[in-house]
Amino acid sequence: MIELDKVCFAYPAQGPTVQDLSFRIGDGEFVAILGANGAGKTTTVRLIDGLIKPTSGRVIIDGTDTASSRVSDRARRVGFLFQNPDRQICKNTVREEILFGLETVRGEEGAEALGHRADEVLQEFGFTGEEEPFSLSRGQRQRVALASILAVEPSVLILDEPTTGLDYRECCHIMDQIRTMNREKNVTVIMVCHDMEIVLDYASRALVMSGGRLLDDGPVPEIFRNSALMERASILPPQMIGLSLRLGRGFEDADTPESMADAILRRKKEG
Amino acid sequence: MNHVLQYIPGNSVIHRMNPVTKLLLTIIICVCAFMTDNLFFLLGLLAVDLMIGFVAGVAGRTLKIFRGLLMIAAFLFILQALLTRRGTPVFWIITDEGLMGAGRVVLRLIVVCMPLALVLAVTRISDLTNALVQHLHVPYQYAFTLATAIRFIPQFLEEMNGIMEAQTARGVAFDQARGLKKFSMILPLCAPLLISSVRRTDQTAVAAEVRGFRLRTRASAYRRYTFTALDAATFLFCALLLAGAILIR
Amino acid sequence: MIEIQDLSFTYQDEKKPALEGISLSLREGDFLGIIGPAGAGKTTLGRAISGIVPHHYKGDFYGSVTVGGMDTVDSSLIDISRLVGMVFQDVDSQIICPTVEDELLYGLENFGIGRDEIPERIGFALGKVGIPELRERSIGSLSGGQRQKVAIASVIALKPRVLVLDEPTGELDPQSSRQVFTLLRELNEEFGITIVVIEQKIMLLCEFARRLLVLNEGKAVHEGETRQVLSHAEDLENIGVNIPRVATLSRALSRKTGKEIPVCINLDEAEKTARGLMA
Repeated sequence: MIELDKVCFAYPAQGPTVQDLSFRIGDGEFVAILGANGAGKTTTVRLIDGLIKPTSGRVIIDGTDTASSRVSDRARRVGFLFQNPDRQICKNTVREEILFGLETVRGEEGAEALGHRADEVLQEFGFTGEEEPFSLSRGQRQRVALASILAVEPSVLILDEPTTGLDYRECCHIMDQIRTMNREKNVTVIMVCHDMEIVLDYASRALVMSGGRLLDDGPVPEIFRNSALMERASILPPQMIGLSLRLGRGFEDADTPESMADAILRRKKEG
Repeated sequence: MNHVLQYIPGNSVIHRMNPVTKLLLTIIICVCAFMTDNLFFLLGLLAVDLMIGFVAGVAGRTLKIFRGLLMIAAFLFILQALLTRRGTPVFWIITDEGLMGAGRVVLRLIVVCMPLALVLAVTRISDLTNALVQHLHVPYQYAFTLATAIRFIPQFLEEMNGIMEAQTARGVAFDQARGLKKFSMILPLCAPLLISSVRRTDQTAVAAEVRGFRLRTRASAYRRYTFTALDAATFLFCALLLAGAILIR
Repeated sequence: MIEIQDLSFTYQDEKKPALEGISLSLREGDFLGIIGPAGAGKTTLGRAISGIVPHHYKGDFYGSVTVGGMDTVDSSLIDISRLVGMVFQDVDSQIICPTVEDELLYGLENFGIGRDEIPERIGFALGKVGIPELRERSIGSLSGGQRQKVAIASVIALKPRVLVLDEPTGELDPQSSRQVFTLLRELNEEFGITIVVIEQKIMLLCEFARRLLVLNEGKAVHEGETRQVLSHAEDLENIGVNIPRVATLSRALSRKTGKEIPVCINLDEAEKTARGLMA
């Protein structure tokens, strides 16, 4: 459980980046944080993990206040996947990279158990383990980063624009893996993402931000159907939602091309 | 990102000086600091450093640099004072000569480093390189390399912070370490930094090349850097400083 | 404007060719989008058009690339860059100078633009990308989107006839991405600048690019008018290229009705198709 209570954050000598932020995220939720550049999304996820501490208000994660606990102590339970995988990867092979993450936070389990866990993850991600991370594509490097974070089996996963610079296939690959973790292991996922189609496909709840404030918070398709809200947050809703809004009544449930086609044909039959 | 070497725009007398003059003033202060052993003269040079910063309207930055240098200086002072064996003991193993020597070393350090850092705060790097090329006939390639190196410092720092943040989030205890320990922790994690730097330098080289890097000559620069009465006055000031350093050893 | 004939290129020290048998013909004023999965050779093709391949990145080069009548192998990189402006993928490594004005001056000075013309060129470029107020700012104080605009301004100040951009919206949010493409459209329509843009965001390409080139593993899969290329939706999906949801919708409708329904590439078309079917 994650709780933000009237959180404000300002960099020294600058105006506030986020203001009066209050929300709760329960275990196993898949939440997307939406908004234009500069809306305060990245600041919010960094606040959640305690990488930055609130100027006022409280951030409670796993029952502890981030102001009085350390990020590195939290790494066992909270994984953070950054936009740029190259800042994380520091070993020469994928296996070493995954082991490094494991040894850092689960060192007490012993080399054998960790080696076993690393092999498990390698298999899950389809790596041999001998690949050199820096000769892989950006998408593959992002998967290496994700693998080494998921290896430690965190209960919360924070993603800051995880699909930047990836092609569509790599993007789906990563998101599918994240969804599996969410569904099978009840991992809480909090994601900052600019691609609304991905948000629609994967997230179940959305927090909409603008100018450092929380504008709205609700289930995903509904949030996108709120045209006034989308306008205020400068967000272009996913295409099928945009189309269903234009077509009016009878298309409220048509979120995917498949269901949209069915809705159109149903209407056609009805005349 | 506001870092300690970033240019601060302004229109003070110091900003308006010819970049070559600013560089000369910096060098003269350094030379003087090494020539003299007189503590009072060194203090005088420090006053000159601070004054330059205040006149340039970058007092905040000046004090920031000063504070940073003081911390390093304090460490050096203690070391130097403890290690000097000559002279009469003042208390414990500290001698009067040790104190004087340590004072000179740290003052010199501060006096030399301040203007080097300040000159970048009040001069655009491109003005500096252009002026060097125009007046001192420094080959453009060298000037460019220097400018690019300086330009990459903030990016390098940003990247370093990013890496530390990413590793902390993974459980590497950067948030529990300080100073040297932190430094020794980051070294093994520098592979990403090196790789991204190498990649960047190569890309910058291409980007420069397709925008006519090879065509550049001494006459290319759009801005002209003339010498005015202000520069003449500064030259005179430099000469006085130098004379002072020779006289007041 | 750009003629590519049977181009194959293998980077030095690599076995697999980055490009294989690419042919492409663009007229002056065309607006081409290049899309394809990672490792498809998109960046290499961009480099080949701007002469960086084979002048900076060496390797085995077969076939020919002609830009504005110049064969890129025989001409010097400098001569090609007078004609072709390039905006690179990583903005931070492309920006050379510490302030916005200096960055624009850099190319202008090097290419020997007359002193009297320089202020006008700077004004033009900054105005065009919509950042005249950033002129004196240091690069370090700008956001990612602003830096991207500076990079583009510094290239258009040189008034290139061809503009090659490698994923110019990679790090931008949807709104800033649209701004960049709107700017490209203006440059294209007002000044007839030929645009070649490598981009992963298919929705932007559908809206702005007139032609599309789909690359996969170094080979051209489809090339032609945007709509026509998107009518091969299945091929695109098979190689892992995203297609807009409206295109998926028109395919689903074709399948479900058993009738050939023309591919939709934007919301307006989808709405029209839907209303047409329901009427």
